[in-house]
Amino acid sequence: MNPEEAAQIPRRTTRSLASSSASTSNNASSAKVNSLEPLTINDLLVGGDPISLDELFSNFPGRSSQILEIVSLLGPLNTPMLPLFVYGGASTGKTSIILQLFRHLNRPLVYSSCRTSYNQRILFESILNQLHLHRKSSANGYSNAKRCERPSDFINFLREALTDAINNLKEKSAKLISGKTMAQGGIGNMIYLVFDNFQLVREWDKSSTLLPFLFNLYDLLKIPEVGLIFISNTSPDTFYSSNMGYVEPIPVYFPDYTDADIRKILSRNQADSKLYSSFLDVALRSFFRVTRQVDELSTAFKPLYEKYCEPLSDKRVFPNGDKDKDMKRKLFSHINPHITSSLNEIFKVSSHPSVEVENSKEANLKVNQRKLERREEIAKLDFHMSTSAKYLLISAFLASRNPATLDASLFDSKGGSHNRKRKRKPSEKVPERKESLEEELLMKGPGSFPLERLLAIFQCIVSVAEDSSDEDKQSGELMSDVLLQLSSLCNAKFIFKGRSCPIEGSVRYRSTVSEDLALKVARSLKFPLSSYLYKRT
Amino acid sequence: MAPSSSPIVTDSLDPSTPTETLDNDLQPFFVLHKPSSRRKDRSSTGQGKQRKRNELSSPQNTKKQEGSVNEECDYHLFKPLQIEAFNSVWSRIESTIKDVLRDLNSSAFKDIQRWILECFNAARLHGEPNITEATRSFPILSNATPGQLSAALVITRNIEFVDDILTFEELGHFLKSHGCHVAKLSSVDFSMKNGIAGCLKALLREFPLGEIDSADISILASWYREQDNNNKPLVLIISDLERCCGSVLTEFVLMLSEWVVKLPVILIIGVATTVDALRNALPSCALQCLCSSKFMIGTPDERMDTIVEAVLVKHSTTFNIGHKVALFLRNYFINQDGTLTSFIRALKLACLLHFSMEPVSLIHGHMLAEDQKDWISALSPEILLKYMDEFPSYDRSQIASQAGKSIAQGLSDLITEKKLWSTAVLCLCEAGKYSKVRLLDLFCEVLNPDLYPHRDSVCHIRNEKDQGLSSTNGHSQQYSSVQTGGLIRQIVRKVRDLPTGALGQLIKRWEKLTADISEIHDKLKTFQSSVRCEDRRSPRKSSKDISKRYGSKASLDADNELTMLNLQAVAFIDCLVRNYMRPIECMPFHEISCFKNVEKLQVVLIGDPRRRIQADLLDSHKILRCSCCNKTGNALLPSRQDSSILYSLAQEHGDLINLHDWFQSFRTILHQTNKRKPKSKQSPQPKKRKDTAGSGDQNEASIQARFCRAVTEMQITGLLRMPSKRRPDFVQRVAFGL
Repeated sequence: MNPEEAAQIPRRTTRSLASSSASTSNNASSAKVNSLEPLTINDLLVGGDPISLDELFSNFPGRSSQILEIVSLLGPLNTPMLPLFVYGGASTGKTSIILQLFRHLNRPLVYSSCRTSYNQRILFESILNQLHLHRKSSANGYSNAKRCERPSDFINFLREALTDAINNLKEKSAKLISGKTMAQGGIGNMIYLVFDNFQLVREWDKSSTLLPFLFNLYDLLKIPEVGLIFISNTSPDTFYSSNMGYVEPIPVYFPDYTDADIRKILSRNQADSKLYSSFLDVALRSFFRVTRQVDELSTAFKPLYEKYCEPLSDKRVFPNGDKDKDMKRKLFSHINPHITSSLNEIFKVSSHPSVEVENSKEANLKVNQRKLERREEIAKLDFHMSTSAKYLLISAFLASRNPATLDASLFDSKGGSHNRKRKRKPSEKVPERKESLEEELLMKGPGSFPLERLLAIFQCIVSVAEDSSDEDKQSGELMSDVLLQLSSLCNAKFIFKGRSCPIEGSVRYRSTVSEDLALKVARSLKFPLSSYLYKRT
Repeated sequence: MAPSSSPIVTDSLDPSTPTETLDNDLQPFFVLHKPSSRRKDRSSTGQGKQRKRNELSSPQNTKKQEGSVNEECDYHLFKPLQIEAFNSVWSRIESTIKDVLRDLNSSAFKDIQRWILECFNAARLHGEPNITEATRSFPILSNATPGQLSAALVITRNIEFVDDILTFEELGHFLKSHGCHVAKLSSVDFSMKNGIAGCLKALLREFPLGEIDSADISILASWYREQDNNNKPLVLIISDLERCCGSVLTEFVLMLSEWVVKLPVILIIGVATTVDALRNALPSCALQCLCSSKFMIGTPDERMDTIVEAVLVKHSTTFNIGHKVALFLRNYFINQDGTLTSFIRALKLACLLHFSMEPVSLIHGHMLAEDQKDWISALSPEILLKYMDEFPSYDRSQIASQAGKSIAQGLSDLITEKKLWSTAVLCLCEAGKYSKVRLLDLFCEVLNPDLYPHRDSVCHIRNEKDQGLSSTNGHSQQYSSVQTGGLIRQIVRKVRDLPTGALGQLIKRWEKLTADISEIHDKLKTFQSSVRCEDRRSPRKSSKDISKRYGSKASLDADNELTMLNLQAVAFIDCLVRNYMRPIECMPFHEISCFKNVEKLQVVLIGDPRRRIQADLLDSHKILRCSCCNKTGNALLPSRQDSSILYSLAQEHGDLINLHDWFQSFRTILHQTNKRKPKSKQSPQPKKRKDTAGSGDQNEASIQARFCRAVTEMQITGLLRMPSKRRPDFVQRVAFGL
């Protein structure tokens, strides 16, 4: 067993000794677990070291009014409460404030996230497991305390479990009173059910019976010792219209953080707060244009801050306390290019360093060569694709970009000359119309096309390419297995295949490739893509 | 085919069996589905060489009746021997391929494993939650920023995914053996249909959890904290990102990130194309949960080169392919499929075909086993001799007169020559790495028998140019003007311009390569010693000095020295090319281990079913060989199959076919049976009325029904598209020419 875990055990035993009566009513199955302590009602507490309200305020800057509101709504110990509906944008501190508040209040809660419990049954069973103080283990085959699929079963099981648990709590608080240890301790008789990520319920609740059921839970149970808290990132209006026949939960809104709040939050756990605030001066302004979410900002700033500090550690250019402004300016000029580049980059992939270290060991000559090669390779395609797949990709790209009416003029040399002459005259008369058409194309995005058109363009392209490069006599075999190539392109998500009846053959395809990639592919084939693109001419 | 009738025997006795062509047509399917039984029925290919041999052997047979009886017995003996030989050779090749691929990946795998350990230890530094904390439903409260999932993106760089199935399987085994819990998920588990539940179920199935009723990630968390399971990192491999359903993957990532502190899963994601694939698949909220690093594994080209090196060059004595086959395989790889899997499959087919087609091929299976008595007893020397006689290469080798004693000699010569050949090719390839010449291309060129006679002259040309080198620097132009033998020339040019340091490295590698082959090694030694002699003659030009000398006034001397060394290296390559790189097809007895029949392989491998269907529909009579059609040839007869008639008629139309016209002409053709009068063709409409009412109607109805059925058949085969609303009386032809 872990040393840390071993260290935990004495503390736990003292706790459970204090509430030995509570542990007697534990679920029988959890007692079987050999080396593990059976769960007690204390395990429904958030646990950890007690935290004061002031600490809470300082941990969550700009949230004191919300915290106070919730505290008042929860009321003092053992007061019944109406259901709460906590909502606000992503990463505005809803979940952590609720949990920390319960840590401060030291009251038992049953928490379930609707993300982890991804359907009705798992949600029910996880709530029951917690109430029954049930622990999944190899001894019980990782089974649940109760098997429960339907809401009607759930309400019965829940009532049963809740009364058990509440009796348990009552017994315990009675003991505490008799033992005269009730300084401020007491965890009260209330049990709070918390539903996190509640907005997800809407998605898996297709028949929309579950939402009313859960909102109505308070009325159905009629147990005053139960508190319900729903946490969602959408407003209550998205869940119910007025007057659905049950008590509407009291809404608590978490607004987005202000600029000052975000600064405070981000600089909370920084070692060098002065340096960090100067970094924030630089970085925050430009990032606010992109996002105001704390989690996104903090993940984006982590590598940026390291970059920002680089010149400090590299060469001790700045002796202590020397010319603060000068240093700031230098650091700013160092970081500025990185900020603009990271603005567009939500997702950063670091190539693993060890590979590069090995490379650098090799001779200088080679490194130089490699650098040159790399520069060349930037423009190259960095994955393998067979030649016919490349042609197919290009023809799909063309089919998506060019209007179908232009196919004849682009690919048929005879028809082309006639058509072009005809088309030019009206377009010269009305140049604006052409512009608007181009714009329309851009707005519409890639168009869809049937298989036949794709194959026709493919044939044209390949025959043109074969004519131009007679040296490669073998490329004549490109035509076979085209459909196989098509399916592998679809699998790689380069071509999107619409759904339709496969026998009728009316499936429409759409190329999802960026122009950049298409150009790369064309370059690797030495195919003059731009001359075939309608937009360009 | 009945196993008792041995086609080898029948064929050799009677070359013009009627079943021969029939066999031919069935072969692709035989090979694809039943390789082991296929081997028995000898591929009566009707290829030129085989026929020639049969014809040649027939007079002998008539002369010696006894001999033919003997022969028959021997053929019966051959079949198991052939199978055995194939099995031994192929298992050898297969294991080589496996080893080589494993070695190729090992460095990348080690990198990944190191990274996993780093992540694991970093996660542990933050402190481990105890079991109660870890199994609770609410997230662990900490002041730190929410943890990110560590994810390794393994870029496989091949749009086709087949090859990487094996790679990821091996990665899984590797990590398991290095102390990780490994779970493998594929895109099948991330399907829209099953949603997140299916994917969690698949995940839990990977762990020894027993029967699980409802898949819930908390089960995994409890398991991980139990019984020291958490001493090992938990690795989850998702092998093909591109095919996964994006929304399910998003859900999954978000769920894992909720549990990341309690259940530190390390993700390994296989990406076929670029990192952008992940950006496209996941929304930003899921992307920011991932802390990802990128790992590259060998490109298909690299892998292909190592396989070619290991199988076809290093072990060229085992099995080899002719120039045309090599060219076909290369083009197939580059143009069509691009997967190693298909390349290996093609190689296997080639091997199989070789052993079934070439009776003498089994010698070398035994040659490998070095169990000479065995094959000598099975194959009487005379028969062997007879076959050998018919080898075209044998005639060319001009030792036919004293064949008897020289067979053994010839075989051992072949082996040594092949060894020399492979070493020479490897040396050349090593030099080719500087000009980025790929081994597969080089291999194709080296095998080309047409180029071989020219090579000597090529060398001469080069020598002339070498002489003129010091004065002119326009040699590159002259080289490019000569088209044939491009790659070797390219390599030579590069070697000539190679700086000293790189050249030294190259020579060292050459030494390593040739260490076992004394003949080439000696050549290399003499070349080196000659260089050293030059050094001694002018002592200031030791190799160390050369690098310093670049900037000094003696740079001209250094250049001279450089070119001297380079010229020596070029001369060495020259010598390799001239003396040892005779294409395998030009060696005597190469037929024993060399497969050359491209057409056969092509048919078996590509098949081209669409074109085949269309071609067969057009001349079905050639396949059916019915009596009626034989006489009339290509004309459409009512006795022909309906869809065949319809397809032939459709050839007269363009893109769109008018249903009415089509039906009428179909009807006309069917009516030809009853009355062979020319009038019936001209006016089918009034004819109908003339017919006696009852039978005529019935007839009409049945014709219509047959028409409908045939059209539907063609629709199902994908040749037609049914009438649309816009043009209700036209069908559209879908695939022509493809």
